[in-house]
Amino acid sequence: MSTHLIAFFTLREALRRRVVLAAALLTLGYLVLYGVGVWFGYRDLQETQGGPPGLTEGVVSLMLVGGLWSLNFIASVLAVFLSVGALSGEVDQGTLHAIAARPVRRSEIVFGKFVGFTLMLAVFIGVSASLMILIVAVITGEVVGASWSGPFLMLLAAMLLIGLALAGSSRLSALPNGVIVFTLYATALIGGVIEQIGDVLESAVMFNIGVFSSVLVPTRAMWDMASAQLATGGFAGELSAGPFGASNPPSGWMLLIAALHLALTLGFAVRAFERRDF
Amino acid sequence: MSQPAAIHLSGVSKRYGRTLAVDDVSLSVAHGEVFGFLGPNGAGKSTIVKMVLGLTYPTAGEIEVLGQPVGSLAARAEVGYLPETFRFHDWLTASELLHFHARLARVSADVRSRRVRELLELVGLKDRANDRISTFSKGMMQRVGLAQALVGEPRLVILDEPTSALDPIGRRDVRDRIRELGECGVTVFLNSHLLSEVEQVCDRVAIIDHGSIVAEGKLDELLNAQEIELRAGEGAEAAARETLGEGGVRHINGRLRVRVANDDETARLIRRMIEAGVPVYDVRQVGDSLEDLFVRVAERGDV
Ligand SMILES: Nc1ncnc2c1ncn2[C@@H]1O[C@H](COP(=O)(O)OP(=O)(O)OP(=O)(O)O)[C@@H](O)[C@H]1O
Ligand SMILES: [Mg+2]
Repeated sequence: MSTHLIAFFTLREALRRRVVLAAALLTLGYLVLYGVGVWFGYRDLQETQGGPPGLTEGVVSLMLVGGLWSLNFIASVLAVFLSVGALSGEVDQGTLHAIAARPVRRSEIVFGKFVGFTLMLAVFIGVSASLMILIVAVITGEVVGASWSGPFLMLLAAMLLIGLALAGSSRLSALPNGVIVFTLYATALIGGVIEQIGDVLESAVMFNIGVFSSVLVPTRAMWDMASAQLATGGFAGELSAGPFGASNPPSGWMLLIAALHLALTLGFAVRAFERRDF
Repeated sequence: MSQPAAIHLSGVSKRYGRTLAVDDVSLSVAHGEVFGFLGPNGAGKSTIVKMVLGLTYPTAGEIEVLGQPVGSLAARAEVGYLPETFRFHDWLTASELLHFHARLARVSADVRSRRVRELLELVGLKDRANDRISTFSKGMMQRVGLAQALVGEPRLVILDEPTSALDPIGRRDVRDRIRELGECGVTVFLNSHLLSEVEQVCDRVAIIDHGSIVAEGKLDELLNAQEIELRAGEGAEAAARETLGEGGVRHINGRLRVRVANDDETARLIRRMIEAGVPVYDVRQVGDSLEDLFVRVAERGDV
């Protein structure tokens, strides 16, 4: 089995090519900015008199959810950029010829790359989300969002995108594949908004379009579940609806759909890549 | 009986959309043979190589490599391949690339470092072992590629135009290396359109054009006595035309050049001249050059 060799190779490529370094530096800059924002926001909040009970906790939780929402977005973009050209792009460049001629199964190449990208995203999400939770906790003294399920769901969303991009990359070159994957990603985002509006207007058609889009690409649904986990207190739950989450979080079935989705995209990627000519 | 061929193709075709890149090719390369595969651009050489490696799938036909069905991991473990484009992950250093391929080729850990060092020395990149491939010249990349092809101590080496970017010394080195491999019993499949290279190292060649093999055989047989050159007295030309027909008889530098099909025909011609009382001073076979053969084949589509 050579999957681990390919996975390790994929990781090393990202490190060596400074992809990770660039992402880390940008995220660090973003976290500093975020910290400054939270600090001022929290100071203003404390100067406000009155308000309903649990206001402080709710707002702090909302600030965290908003911050993680942008991390989730960065992670998604990173996942797509890393993997859109991973198969066809390399076949077109000719860099995969000598490797694929070795005693390596095509499926090992696909899985190796998947594992490599997933590990990278896991480290990215794990470190940046932890730092963010820590920043909020230190500044406000409120420990919110300290659970594994939020970052895990964010990682799952990134894995779904990696699977989708690898499936496309088994046949399509990087540019058309990137266009398709981002279009699907946007569809899921917009589908979420349509679902919310449909919910408010009590329009079954709009609601169903939204649900369909989350089944098609469950990335948005993963985030909705994550944000529901992160937002503590009934008040925060309502606040964090809108741009950062759904008013009614997806059911647990969505996890099953996500798992199926991943199995399907990876299965397709392997089959299509096994059959392609170099 | 004898062991199975190192490479065996039977009735292999490959179609890309409307292009028939390879058309019903059957071919056997014996173990330990240095086999040259020649043909003009677009003839289908690289396509055949990629099918032998399991990188590309034939539309029709069967391929066996080292006695195994094409693409099997067991066969691949014993094959070394230098792709035509010799593009590698250029963020690696030369040494890292070879280590990676040694692992993929299942070279055991205790010999890997030594093997990598030896190969880098062999291809003249010892000083650049720890430089990134992105800083290499084209020829240096091809050298790394060659080392990569040899890193697994393969029983079959498939080289797709291994010297296209090399300087004359590099070319000579590769020729020497191929001969050495042949002497060690390694089978070499060499794609090339450098005729002199093929002429110097190959036991047997095939010429492919428009996807079909148009000539195949031992080099000296293919090139053998296509023409003879005669220094003879009065009446020689008439005798030649009488025996062999009008075509294929001409004068070069005051000598008579006659195209013959085989040795029998040569003997018949000489007998005829002697019977006719034509003095024959000197007869020699003029080996066709591979270039003549290649051009003739490529232009006419037959030998
Ligand atoms: N991926 C592909 N898609 C479509 N056509 C292809 C593809 N690869 C090769 N061909 C066609 O197949 C034919 C044979 O190509 P191939 O690369 O095997 O030639 P070659 O003999 O190696 O030529 P060269 O000496 O230029 O390397 C050409 O007509 C080429 O256009
Ligand atoms: Mg070629």
